[in-house]
Amino acid sequence: MKSTQINIGSTLCRPDALLKVSGTAKFAVDYYGQDYIWAGVKRASIPHGTLKNVDCSKALKVPGVLTVLTHKDIHGTNRQGVVKKDQPVLVDDKIRHCGDAVALVLAETKSALAEGLVAVRTDTKELQPVKDVMSALKPGSPLVHENNAKGNILLAGEIAVGKSLAALKECDVVVEARFETQRQEHAYLETENGWARLDDKGRIEIVCSTQTPFRDRIEVAEALGMDPENIRIIVPNVGGAFGGKDGITVQSLLALAAQHSNGRPVKMWWDREESFLASAKRHPCMMAYRLGAKLDGTLHFLDVDIILDTGPYDHLGGVVLALAMEHSGGPYRIPNGLIRGRCVYTNNPVGGAFRGFGVTQVTSAIERAMDLLAEKMGMDRLELRLKNALKAGDRNFVGKTLTTSTGIIECLETLSRHKLWKQKSSWKCGVPPFKRRGIGISATMHASGYGPVVPDYANAKLELTTRGSFRIYCGVVDMGQGNTTANIQIVGSLLNQPIEKMEVVLPDTDKTLPSGSASASRCTYTFGNALISGAKIMQERLCQKAADLMMIKDSNEFSMIPGAIRHLPTNREIRLETIARIMDSSEKTVTAYFRAPVATDSVTDDKNLRLHGIPHNLFSYSANLAYVEVDEITGKVAVADYLTVSDCGNVMNPQIYEQQIQGGVCQGLGLALYEDFETLDGRIITKDFSTYLAPTSMDIPDIQSVALGIHEPTGPFGAKGIGEISTNGPLPTIANAIFDATGYMFDKSPITPEAILDALNINLSG
Amino acid sequence: MSKVFMPAQPDELWGILDENPEAVVYAGGTDLLVRLRSRFTKPDCLVCLERLDDLKGVKADDDDIFIGALTTHREMLNDPIIQKDLHILTHALKQLGSPPIRNMGTLGGNIVTASPAGDTLAPLYILNAQLEIGSRNSTRRAPIESFILGPGKVDLAHGEILSRVVVRKVPKFEVHHYEKVGKRNALACSVVSMATLMNVSSNNLISNIRLAWGSVGPTVLRFGDIEHFLVGKPLTVEGLSEAINMIQELVKPIDDIRATACYRREVAGRLLLRLLKYSV
Ligand SMILES: Cc1cc2nc3c(=O)[nH]c(=O)nc-3n(C[C@H](O)[C@H](O)[C@H](O)COP(=O)(O)OP(=O)(O)OC[C@H]3O[C@@H](n4cnc5c(N)ncnc54)[C@H](O)[C@@H]3O)c2cc1C
Repeated sequence: MKSTQINIGSTLCRPDALLKVSGTAKFAVDYYGQDYIWAGVKRASIPHGTLKNVDCSKALKVPGVLTVLTHKDIHGTNRQGVVKKDQPVLVDDKIRHCGDAVALVLAETKSALAEGLVAVRTDTKELQPVKDVMSALKPGSPLVHENNAKGNILLAGEIAVGKSLAALKECDVVVEARFETQRQEHAYLETENGWARLDDKGRIEIVCSTQTPFRDRIEVAEALGMDPENIRIIVPNVGGAFGGKDGITVQSLLALAAQHSNGRPVKMWWDREESFLASAKRHPCMMAYRLGAKLDGTLHFLDVDIILDTGPYDHLGGVVLALAMEHSGGPYRIPNGLIRGRCVYTNNPVGGAFRGFGVTQVTSAIERAMDLLAEKMGMDRLELRLKNALKAGDRNFVGKTLTTSTGIIECLETLSRHKLWKQKSSWKCGVPPFKRRGIGISATMHASGYGPVVPDYANAKLELTTRGSFRIYCGVVDMGQGNTTANIQIVGSLLNQPIEKMEVVLPDTDKTLPSGSASASRCTYTFGNALISGAKIMQERLCQKAADLMMIKDSNEFSMIPGAIRHLPTNREIRLETIARIMDSSEKTVTAYFRAPVATDSVTDDKNLRLHGIPHNLFSYSANLAYVEVDEITGKVAVADYLTVSDCGNVMNPQIYEQQIQGGVCQGLGLALYEDFETLDGRIITKDFSTYLAPTSMDIPDIQSVALGIHEPTGPFGAKGIGEISTNGPLPTIANAIFDATGYMFDKSPITPEAILDALNINLSG
Repeated sequence: MSKVFMPAQPDELWGILDENPEAVVYAGGTDLLVRLRSRFTKPDCLVCLERLDDLKGVKADDDDIFIGALTTHREMLNDPIIQKDLHILTHALKQLGSPPIRNMGTLGGNIVTASPAGDTLAPLYILNAQLEIGSRNSTRRAPIESFILGPGKVDLAHGEILSRVVVRKVPKFEVHHYEKVGKRNALACSVVSMATLMNVSSNNLISNIRLAWGSVGPTVLRFGDIEHFLVGKPLTVEGLSEAINMIQELVKPIDDIRATACYRREVAGRLLLRLLKYSV
């Protein structure tokens, strides 16, 4: 076989692609172990109530049921969470949503487990559910957490910008609008699952599908009262996550089960219905916007009020709120205004991380407000955006000076030269009977990393094997986005080695090093930067070793070539496996650390907002365009074309970059037109895929991605985060296109055919 | 665990059904297995019909087309007889489920499931399809509209199975039109559907029309009054407008998670306007 050279900037087919499509790649679900047993969760199935008693006696009589565990079997804090630890592993006082776990059943077989779960009896006293944020905020509302100091408010914050509300009267034009976005389910292919075992030294090994192995280890340890050293988390290939596995799902439950299984491996695997019931969702969001400008279209003022429904637990709700507040003004210079945000507890499904992370919600608001403003002023939508788009050195709405690459103007200008923009009028003219056509655009920005307080770091580890290949210890999970391939490209290109010489170790708390979560569009940026340092150290070390062996003074005369190191002046070579054999194992491994630079701007005095991430330092940008056709007979919307022009730094792998854009756009289109995780009084209505409708390939248009490839000086090979930005575009772009087609700006999503027919209210039959 | 029988001969089937009064038959299983999954107790005995070759395939004689109940949607789409004479069915089948569902699901299963949203049903109603129902000792025929009694309810006794569907070749229709309104373009249960067979005269008058609607009542609905009313009317917005109002009054939709009754009623009528594309 010809060896495959690795380059940065050209497509390297993901080495795991063939393994995945041929079914050989192992996921957590593929681990069973000898003599394993099943563990499963009894769910509360009421949204709010006091748990008086759990009666396990009947369940214990079911043949094949081994044991039933409750909160009484937990010897730690029994609380999980990332910032605020308010979520029990097993309910000990109150039930706070239908998906709460009240008991854990261990059984020999899946069918015994199912029977055992039915047989567990819970004695509960139902309480009035807090069914939405508005009722949660009313005085006298039932409380989700009685001892929370701020009632049903998890986190509230306020940031005044410039002259704040006083600038309202200086505006020549003001538009005012309210927007509401819905709850969205991640719907990853691989539902939450894992496998755990307690060894005879008292250590628990957990193989599971997660984005956060190192953080999980600490959380599990605290919740169960264990030493984190006694927990090992291994993450094989992951079948999608999108934020939904950023935090504990099965981990603590599995560890608890393993403590009570007499050393037998325990397996847990949520089915789709349980995944829907228990997993975190994109936060539903209510937003009130007032956007003001001067006569020439210069933005002058923005007043924003954001309310998120976080369900009963923080999960990452506070952090999502902070990111939403930070991005509430979009990629524009807006010198004055006020940002208010509240993240509110309810008895609805848990709100958590989801690709876009609050930015998706606020972007849909500011971008629709921009179109309303353009319309009111009679100004071109693109011109209004270009006029106000951020440049390096500007301060964004929250007051952070932009010191990293800022390509939103180039994105918009590239869009303006694209044929889809230029041909828009002729496309609209060709409209068939009973259809209306419209074109929408939007501009977005998205931060990467953790913000000013929580350290955003990674530790890369790289080893030369005795075979002369390089083993990369990936500390950050690849849940399908392709960062492992990027890691291979980084090492392969820096060390000038072909793909055959690359090996990877997937995240494992015993083998790989702590490198933070696979989230926040940070994976390749943070881990990649660490890995670059590691590869450089490796190269220096190996060249030095070669020089020593050949007794040549200057190691700079050596270069790495595929499989060997060559002394350039003499063309003498030494094979990597030869070097590997004479090196001590401690020398063959290098580690390197990178900590992402953070913003030093003091945009708010609120320590809590800073802790929750305000402000960030590095941003990606995009401009988006969609062609839509609205059917007057049915109200159905067809998206005919979609374009994203993005500035996510230099492109390391064009194929993976485009895949990130495509996937994010599909999820965003789902939010815009299809998906709605509905509840009624805290109970889920859309319980499975027959009623929760995500778009299919038949609903997705051609998606064109234009990458600007602007070099980001702090990025690995000039790259920035690409994971989330594309999710933010579709909702406002589609809404604006429908506005263009119908003259009606939809303020609620998804934008359904029914809502469209209602709004149009046209009498077609005369 | 349920026992699963897979008879290959009719006699074998009748024997199994006699001995197992609780037995449940299935073909592709795309409806039945989904229903069973959500149930805690499973039937003791399942009978898979897929090896009964006599119940498969499409045939025709001079007057009739015969479609075996076990014919899959994919097989029907590929079949030259159906492609030539039953476009209406082809249009509907193309929008049924997704490729894997069309590979597994059968015509018989779609009929016996008797969902008002079943995509083959509205076409079969306006094709005046007759159903052949077999049992150990006899075969009987019933028009589809008397076989289907309500959502999930059919006139079928234990020991009987649906064996084939019979469609007359005449009269011929120029226009075979099917529109399904779902919440997405694949894997969607219809919110409203309308099937039409129509002839339009050279002066743009409707000379013959049959219409049926899905998902706007407990069964597929067909209204003789509207069909009569439309004959001789011009195929124009004005010509159709009164019929649209009539349809909106006659349909009996319900609210459910997919759509409100109000939307279904509105759209059921408006779908008639799509026929304007066939005006001459
Ligand atoms: C994901 C998904 C999407 C779907 N999308 C659509 C869609 O878009 N449109 C649509 O119309 N349907 C849809 N369906 C429903 C289903 O696929 C169709 O109704 C299909 O035609 C059923 O055929 P089957 O052979 O699989 O039925 P089965 O599940 O085998 O049987 C269904 C019922 O019919 C009975 N039965 C089957 N054959 C016979 C027979 N010969 N005699 C007597 N009784 C019989 C069974 O006892 C059972 O009660 C969908 C299903 C799924 C799972």
